[in-house]
Amino acid sequence: MKHRFNPIKDKSSEIIEYLMSSPDMPSDEPTRFKLRLSIEEAVENVVRYAYEGGIGWLEVGTSLDRDSLVLTVELRDAGTPFNPLDRDDPDITLSAEEREIGGLGIFLCKQMMDTINYRYEDGNNILTMTKKINK
Amino acid sequence: MDITIKNEGEKTLVTLDGRLDTTNADQFQSDIQPLLDLQKPDIDIDCTNMTYTSSQGLRIFLSLQKSVLARGGKMVLHNMNPQVKEVFDITGFSNIIAIR
Repeated sequence: MKHRFNPIKDKSSEIIEYLMSSPDMPSDEPTRFKLRLSIEEAVENVVRYAYEGGIGWLEVGTSLDRDSLVLTVELRDAGTPFNPLDRDDPDITLSAEEREIGGLGIFLCKQMMDTINYRYEDGNNILTMTKKINK
Repeated sequence: MDITIKNEGEKTLVTLDGRLDTTNADQFQSDIQPLLDLQKPDIDIDCTNMTYTSSQGLRIFLSLQKSVLARGGKMVLHNMNPQVKEVFDITGFSNIIAIR
């Protein structure tokens, strides 16, 4: 399933719930927790930063390969070209005093999902995340 | 996310209930303001019913911890559920915030 949200300002929660209610989603809570977290971080990234003034659209969708049980979540926007995977991972060995506030969102996606890929195509940012699930 | 804060002697007891996410992180930030005003913080946070946190929640816990340490105080998070604990583990927050 797939839907284009426009506008997206203040719509994070609606977009996250749309994806979490997809029939492709697994039912077990630990996996749903990881998916919700990854989706929230990825959606927030677009809603907050992709468009100047927050005016723009975000198309989101899920698909499930019935044989391999690999779930794919895709986000597409026409905002400023931005590859979130370019950012260095935070140094998780630093002390509380040394740790910077922030920079954890995409890092969490990387940890919670099996794969995460970015491409820029036809003027769109496309972020694709996959995770093997149990149905 | 519901939050209750009460004082018991020198200690401040905080109870969290619900999901801490992008929809309520700003509210949570202002709800914990009393904790940022304590002279010598000794804070126990009961996380039994905190069912979820995203990076929005983590950043607030980190800024709270920084502020507590800067005032020579301490803060301990109790009874975290395993999935929330995993988020703290993965991000290294378990090493910089006391969890029991």
